[in-house]
Amino acid sequence: MDTHVHDRRRFLALAAGAAAAPLLTACGAGFGGDDGKSDGSAADDVTGSFDWKREKGTTVKALLNKHPYTDALIADLKSFTAKTGIEVEYDVFPEDNYFDKLTVDLSSGRASYDVFMLGAYMVWQYGPPGWLEDLGPWMRNSAATGAEWDQADFFPNLLRADQWSLKAGAPLGRGGQYALPWGWETNVVAYNTEVFRKLGLKPAESFDELTELAGTITQRAPGAGFDGMYGIAVRGSRSWATIHPGFMTMYARNGLRDFTVDGGKLTPAMNSSDAVAFTEDWAGMVKRGGPPSWTSYTWYQCSSDLGAKKAGMLFDADTAAYFQAVKGASPASGKIAFHPGPKGRDGSLATNMWIWSLGMNAKSKKKSASWLFLQWATGKEHLRKSAVTHNHIDPVRKSVADDAAYKDKMRHLPGFLETFETVVDQTKIQFTPQAQFFDATTSWAAALQEIYGGKGARSVLDGLADDLAGKVG
Amino acid sequence: MRKRALGWLGDAALILYFVFALFPIAWMVILSLKPADQLFSTYFSFSPTLDGYRTVLGDSEGIPFVRFFVNSLVVSVGAVALSLVVGLPAAYASARWRFKGSENLMFTLLSFRFAPELTVIIPLFVLYQKLGLFDTYVGMVWVLQLVTLPLIVWIMRSYFADLTPELEQAALLDGYTRKQAFFKVALPLVKPGIAAVSLLAFIFAWNNFVFPLILTSNEAQTVTVGALSFLGGDRPKYNLTAAAALVSVVPPLLLALTIQRYLVRGLSFGAVKS
Amino acid sequence: MRLALRPYLLIVPALLLTCGILYPFGLGLYYTLFDFSASKPQPDMVRFENYTTVFTQEAFWNSAWVTVLYAVGAALAETVLGVAVALLLHRSTIVGRILEKILILPLMIAPVIAAIIWKLMLQPSVGVVNHLLRPFGLGGVQWTDTPTGALLSSIAVDVWVYTPFVAILALAGLRSLPASPFEAAAVDGAGWWYTFRRLTLPMLWPYVLVAVIFRFMDSLKVFDIIYALTEGGPGDATVVLQIRAYLEAIRFQRYSFGISYTIVLWAVVYLAAMVLVKHLGKIQRKAAEVTT
Repeated sequence: MDTHVHDRRRFLALAAGAAAAPLLTACGAGFGGDDGKSDGSAADDVTGSFDWKREKGTTVKALLNKHPYTDALIADLKSFTAKTGIEVEYDVFPEDNYFDKLTVDLSSGRASYDVFMLGAYMVWQYGPPGWLEDLGPWMRNSAATGAEWDQADFFPNLLRADQWSLKAGAPLGRGGQYALPWGWETNVVAYNTEVFRKLGLKPAESFDELTELAGTITQRAPGAGFDGMYGIAVRGSRSWATIHPGFMTMYARNGLRDFTVDGGKLTPAMNSSDAVAFTEDWAGMVKRGGPPSWTSYTWYQCSSDLGAKKAGMLFDADTAAYFQAVKGASPASGKIAFHPGPKGRDGSLATNMWIWSLGMNAKSKKKSASWLFLQWATGKEHLRKSAVTHNHIDPVRKSVADDAAYKDKMRHLPGFLETFETVVDQTKIQFTPQAQFFDATTSWAAALQEIYGGKGARSVLDGLADDLAGKVG
Repeated sequence: MRKRALGWLGDAALILYFVFALFPIAWMVILSLKPADQLFSTYFSFSPTLDGYRTVLGDSEGIPFVRFFVNSLVVSVGAVALSLVVGLPAAYASARWRFKGSENLMFTLLSFRFAPELTVIIPLFVLYQKLGLFDTYVGMVWVLQLVTLPLIVWIMRSYFADLTPELEQAALLDGYTRKQAFFKVALPLVKPGIAAVSLLAFIFAWNNFVFPLILTSNEAQTVTVGALSFLGGDRPKYNLTAAAALVSVVPPLLLALTIQRYLVRGLSFGAVKS
Repeated sequence: MRLALRPYLLIVPALLLTCGILYPFGLGLYYTLFDFSASKPQPDMVRFENYTTVFTQEAFWNSAWVTVLYAVGAALAETVLGVAVALLLHRSTIVGRILEKILILPLMIAPVIAAIIWKLMLQPSVGVVNHLLRPFGLGGVQWTDTPTGALLSSIAVDVWVYTPFVAILALAGLRSLPASPFEAAAVDGAGWWYTFRRLTLPMLWPYVLVAVIFRFMDSLKVFDIIYALTEGGPGDATVVLQIRAYLEAIRFQRYSFGISYTIVLWAVVYLAAMVLVKHLGKIQRKAAEVTT
């Protein structure tokens, strides 16, 4: 009997071993990380005169987020292939899981995709591990980049926003160019003109006024024929995305910082006394005139409430309002106007922004073809076409912003162009670049929710600062 | 008289539960029939349209929903079939023979059902990339064994245990081999159980979210992840998500209707028969 | 020898498959001994440091507590409701026979979709639930806005999806109960409550317990419902362990640390399952004659 047991045990061990062995050898140590960075840029290998057809016959793989800008890009891909002879294969995923996909894919160290969409904040997470190609050498190489690309045509703050030295706390605009701005969003106030007219209201010029205004709408609009309408829609869910639109914009307009940087060391500043006071005021505004069930609000809820005439105002990306305002999109279309939003200390209109950028995988085997794609996708020709014939609004290029056909198209939206022109020079990334951005802003959103729920702002924000001090260095 | 009143009360309670259970589904049907611009402006009065379904099935939002649908079918059927092929013998063996370590083995199998998906997802991602299993049917069928195999082994094991061994012994005496006794005697008797547990396993595989979310891309992505795609873009299109979700209910529903008569009877596993 | 090996041979395919699944678990476990993260693609061995960090974090204990609350709440509510529904259906009234056919429907909606639809329905501004409750003066309820509300709402969605699972298993049990003890009780003139407590419930219990085990274990590792409904908020009110692990491992790219969370969760689930399954075996044996 005993021997049987031994036999069986040995058998089991063998069976387990047999199953695992091939996998073990296939996997090595099992980490997905990189195999060392190479010196020098592949851009240096491109010599001679610039030629769009240089890489014809190649196929480039792109990972794209579902977005109207993407729709415009996909619609125009034929002209890219005609121009270069390069085919583009692409996968499109919705925003909810796009970044999970991209992050996991990049972290595996594989070049599944040559080019992809990302935001400026992602550069802070993807740049330091060496996942992103520095595009600077490509831009500077006249053999790789055609003269018509015209770097000076970009709004300079946008180009700078994707430029970083990969050191926590180091200002943007220095170091490598880890992505190119392609489409962007400023965070401003959009409002329902109908309710403003009926109640005789004017857009707020200061934050106190905005709070008043939001409270007034919540109080008076339902009685004036706007069933269930409240004052102002802002995001409130437990996500990093809650912080960066309206909240960060108003925070920056009040001259507040997320971190202070001293000799390369970051100190959380969300608990400075001014920041505590402002955060309390923000939570107070939400309570007086914000959406019910605010803590579940993502941009879906915010923008659909504006469209459904449930929100009198929206303090969020201008695009979130724009896509409710276009003809036939929602009950509120034709009744949405734009305003830069309240001014901060000393009349500041500092505005935070989101930039849909295009980046290149540092592991790509087709960098030269990928660069031609990025060059085309951020070039004047495509961007103008997609702005005029599609919904690629908020141009990253001055030439498109000034284009008569584009302006004509946008003119029917009251205040849109004026607002854009007012804030564009003061719009930049208002956060301090550092790799733990997503952790920091997610915790920040959770803290905001707790303050809104009635906890003391001082102690909650002190706790947040303590927690972050250990993580961000 | 009192008994009848109680009966009505019972029916009323049942109806109450079913209102709770069915209302969200009814609401999904309503959402799926709404035109995009009336999604939030009205509740029950709207001009119904099949555009939502047309968009979803016509792939016209740039989302290849039909392909996701086929993927879900292949992957779920494959996962259940594989689990049955390897799970039934295991369940039978552990029910018929009390052998050393059988309890522990069975428990280990069951414990995978309860393992957090995120424990394996990153190692699996790295592994799949290296083995070329990322975004493939094989990769999905493999990982879904975590969902389907323990369920099938555990439920079928109680089922076989419930079956009196005398029947097979009689068959052996009649000159059947063990194999024949299993296939010709035991298996037909547990058919209702197989039908019912396959349905449950199929539903759980079909509805799984985390594995396809991370381990597939465009080629092998399933409907659960695919239905969410309609929320992105310029505006959240709940009508399309609802339509996609309802379309994706069709296969499990058809399966359930086909084996309806087995479903409850089939799950009468375990013992308690005297 | 031949006979002794047969059961193992029959189990081998399942075992091989299990090893295939086991491998990534082993790899995951191995990862947790390092400080593997996006900022450290060439990690160093840190032994058990990840685990000591987990256990000394307030966030972990909060998540563990929330997870237990969620799992106990959901499993309890589903058991009570599921058994009640099964008992009511077992009477086979006309209404019951019709409704039984559609009992399984909610189980067919993927939980993540169910949570999204529920979220939309519960949105006070445009959601249908508040609209319908308005005549009763409940139009302004903010379902997910308080810690308790968010937790209860998440549990409610879980209950919506999985009650049919418990009900079906319980109904299957009820249908297979032997008739004779009930007939005897009826002859003795036993009341409904007595029959239920002394006969139905004890005999039904093994069936129900299987369902409870599956539900309790599954809700300890809940992810999709909360991911879609509350994202863990407000504050840290619904940050269950898998959400925390997801944030750490995927969103913040601290792979080793994130996986450590799930390993701890797995250990908890494993222990809980062991206790429950032992108990199940005991009462199954008690309830049945062992066949060999």
